[in-house]
Amino acid sequence: MDPILVTSTEEATGKTAVSLAIAKLADQAGHSVGYMKPKGTRLQSATGKTRDEDPMLARQLLNLDSEMHELEPIVYTPTFVQEAIQGRERPEELKDRVLENYEKMADERELMVIEGTDRLVTGGIVDLTDADIAEMLDAKVVLLSRYDEPEDVDDILAAAETLGDSLAGVLFNAVPDSVFDQLTTDVVPFLENRDIPVLGVVPRVQELAGLTVGDLAERLGAEVLTSDASTDLFVERFTVGAMSGESALTQFRRMQNAVMITSGDRPEIITAALEASGIKCIILGGGFRPSNAIVGRAEEEGVPILLLQSDTRMVIDRTEDFLKTGPTRSPATVDRMQELLDDHADVGPLFGVDSAEE
Amino acid sequence: MGQLDTLFAPERVAVVGATESDGSVGRAIMENLLDGYVGDVVPINPSSEEVFGLDCYDSLTDVDDVDLAIVVVPPQIVNDVLREAGEMGVQDIAVITAGFGESGSEGAAREQEMRTIADEYDLNLVGPNCLGVLSTSVNMNGTFSPKSAIDGNISFMSQSGAFITAVLDWASDHGVGFNDVVSLGNKAVLDEGDFIDYWGADPDTDVILGYLEDIDNGREFIDTAREVTKDTPIVAVKSGRTEAGASAAASHTGAIAGSERAYEAGLEQAGVLRATSVQELFDYATILEGQSTPDSDEIAIVTNAGGPGVMATDAIGDSGLEMASFTDETLENLEDVMPDGANIYNPVDVLGDAPTERYEDALDIVLDDPNVGTVIVVACPTAVLSFEKLAETLNAKHEEYGVPMAASLMGGDSASDAEEILGEEGIPSYFDPARGVNSLDALREYAEIKTHEYAEPTDFDVDRERAREVLERTKERDTNKLGVEAMELLEAYGIPMPDSAIATNKTEAVQAAGEIDGNVVMKIVSPDILHKSDIGGVEVGVPDDEVADTYDDLIARARNYQPDATILGVQLQEMADLDAGTETIVGINRDPQFGPLVMFGLGGIFVEVLEDATFRVAPVSEPEAEEMIDEIDSAPLLRGARGREPVDEGAVIETIQRISQLVTDFPAILELDINPLVATPEGVSAVDIRLTVDQEEL
Repeated sequence: MDPILVTSTEEATGKTAVSLAIAKLADQAGHSVGYMKPKGTRLQSATGKTRDEDPMLARQLLNLDSEMHELEPIVYTPTFVQEAIQGRERPEELKDRVLENYEKMADERELMVIEGTDRLVTGGIVDLTDADIAEMLDAKVVLLSRYDEPEDVDDILAAAETLGDSLAGVLFNAVPDSVFDQLTTDVVPFLENRDIPVLGVVPRVQELAGLTVGDLAERLGAEVLTSDASTDLFVERFTVGAMSGESALTQFRRMQNAVMITSGDRPEIITAALEASGIKCIILGGGFRPSNAIVGRAEEEGVPILLLQSDTRMVIDRTEDFLKTGPTRSPATVDRMQELLDDHADVGPLFGVDSAEE
Repeated sequence: MGQLDTLFAPERVAVVGATESDGSVGRAIMENLLDGYVGDVVPINPSSEEVFGLDCYDSLTDVDDVDLAIVVVPPQIVNDVLREAGEMGVQDIAVITAGFGESGSEGAAREQEMRTIADEYDLNLVGPNCLGVLSTSVNMNGTFSPKSAIDGNISFMSQSGAFITAVLDWASDHGVGFNDVVSLGNKAVLDEGDFIDYWGADPDTDVILGYLEDIDNGREFIDTAREVTKDTPIVAVKSGRTEAGASAAASHTGAIAGSERAYEAGLEQAGVLRATSVQELFDYATILEGQSTPDSDEIAIVTNAGGPGVMATDAIGDSGLEMASFTDETLENLEDVMPDGANIYNPVDVLGDAPTERYEDALDIVLDDPNVGTVIVVACPTAVLSFEKLAETLNAKHEEYGVPMAASLMGGDSASDAEEILGEEGIPSYFDPARGVNSLDALREYAEIKTHEYAEPTDFDVDRERAREVLERTKERDTNKLGVEAMELLEAYGIPMPDSAIATNKTEAVQAAGEIDGNVVMKIVSPDILHKSDIGGVEVGVPDDEVADTYDDLIARARNYQPDATILGVQLQEMADLDAGTETIVGINRDPQFGPLVMFGLGGIFVEVLEDATFRVAPVSEPEAEEMIDEIDSAPLLRGARGREPVDEGAVIETIQRISQLVTDFPAILELDINPLVATPEGVSAVDIRLTVDQEEL
């Protein structure tokens, strides 16, 4: 069976969840399924060894016994990119490395699911974009895209052009309610008229869109100052408390499902955030611990306060990163994506299951 | 919650945590109680047999008929004690112990539990984290303050316990006495509103004083205070007025400070006199306790020195008082008795050689003048004047005429004996005449408050259901912001607006423009774009044949400016005749303490740059809405300045009230701005609206 490669027009579209959900659906349809992510970027180790969470999760979910470096043969670090530009990495060798690892795994499996990296164009420096890999492995490509406005279609058309015959279809993911109808009534027929199949339109769901406060605290390595305030609530965006105390409340009230980041020595800003129902979590930078009275009030309001030693600027950058990359990969995320694909997409034909059977 | 009589006048007080240990709070309270309290004191402490010679009990459950329990045990066992108190029918409790909401997470949970217990047993609970209660009526000092109070008719509450100890120490040296004193602490159960309510009905309280950092239920506070101030003046210092102060208060109490504008409006609407400093707090308290309210706003100055007379006159200019204009009879009589060179007009200058008798002559005439509401007597030390003798004269004249009076005996030690004499009659004396004028002005203000009639807000006939439907649309769209798409809300509440429609495509836009007379105004509709005109999201005077192109332009500009904004379409609106009208703004902002705060001002630079705006806590009655218009500096622009025709003020007043009704009906509306509300001689028209909604409240 042809391998399936999942790529996307932009970062953070849900490639991991979709790749693994497809893999599991195929697995449940009775196929033995393997996984590979030729180029990894999510590094947690500075030494260059991949600590990407995606293959780790794949190993767990699909019961794979391959080594990490086999699942993810290339680690696309900034250093790697620099060396490639300086000509110290040879595209041919890299290609062989990918192919070798792929074949080793593919031999034992009926179906391989390949997860792309960041965006379709990532890897061009070493001639290993997702399109290059698809061609090399003869893969059918699932193109993931978000949809916010009609202009997003331009990116899809460009990607379709690049992928040519490899493109199996477009899968829209995390589509907000406000544009769902517009997408299905106008955009989908438009693409189909251009011979670009649409595999499905998956709506945006809270559990996959946001991080919980608990996730965020863990990833930031923050100290949670409150003890009873729930950290299970989802947060999707952040606001920075850098305004005057007087205007803080007005601004915070306009937020929904938001984290408010400020320095711990701004009690008037913190108490204003506690008053606004859209602020679900307060993150304090600079290591300034607020007064106990404020922590007590936060507890009453059920709003957790996280404290970080690093300066507020850094806290903002890191929070922004985490909110952008979305929730931690977890088996539950994949389960939920599987349900969504079942309800809103038609991916069965990719692994030989007719849509009628679904 | 029951009456608070037994809290301030208990017959039996139990001290839970009583001890003789040196330096402990339990000891300090026992000592203070045993020093003169007329009722029984019962120490409770399972590890003692006896405390200060009194039998000590293991628990509250071993003692009957306790009226008040003062609790000083460690925080972990306070709630157990409260349950025992509840079971034993002890109704009044003062929890001195700290370690509750002010101390962080665990404490907050304990305080929550405390509220539940108090609710279950209907306890009148003061604190926790407070200094205690004190009442001179039963000579009870149930605080751990090192000084007690002398007897008086001022009742005092404070959100800072330390401030009470300072005040008690100062007051006893200055002859200021108290009836009841309470330290509010964390206000877990009883708050400022409960105490003003009680003291308002207490015959022994003549003046209520408060040091407040926040107010828990602003609107309730206003309603209670309005009743109380008919008979009993309330004076408050509300700290955290400035940004830095608000920040310090937030850190101290953990509560958002609330906006200064809300406090200003709220306290004024409540009829509370606001002191800006501790000195003012006690200046006001003293004069209000000692003197009756004046019959008129006019004040007379009687002085023996020109300079201080002018200073007093300036102070009057800054106050709500007016210089009294004397009747002809007064002037003639003064002319008869005063020496040549004396000024018989107000300020009356009895000259530097005046002995007490000349003051007396002048006062007899001035105090008899029906125009004179208050008098300030200014005196500089001279060889011919005895301050003590003058003080005795003033006391006699005050008693004889009953006209409120303040003195400014401008001396050091030479004035102190005289001040003591004046104190007997309740006449305050200050070195600075301006301070005297300020105190008399407080008396005038209280006279105004006392007689103020509060109107009920008008109940307009509105379509609540329709308004609810508009607000609930935010849920469907999962947003908390609404713009012109919510104009229907105003229609439901009877607020006039120009003809308008929202188009979601070009065809609709062209059609809508055809149905509106004349050229149209076109505006981008997006709750995410706050300043539409800044991004070129508004086009004025669009003829019908340019509507389609303008539609595209507006959408393109909005997308360029804010790609992630939700764009709901374009609004087409009838052109308002701005030349004939004046742009005003009516807005609300929900204050955490006082609830909806209604704002009114003139559009353009007036509100945004000059901050010429006025505020009231909703619901706003008709007279209050009228006052709002009177209060802004730019009001003449509505009333025909520079030859323009005056606008329909009645329509503006009605809109303010209707908006007030809307936000009172829907607590989910956090913020709402009608900007502009165009006022013309024919009426008003709401051109644009923006609001923020709390979906959880819907």
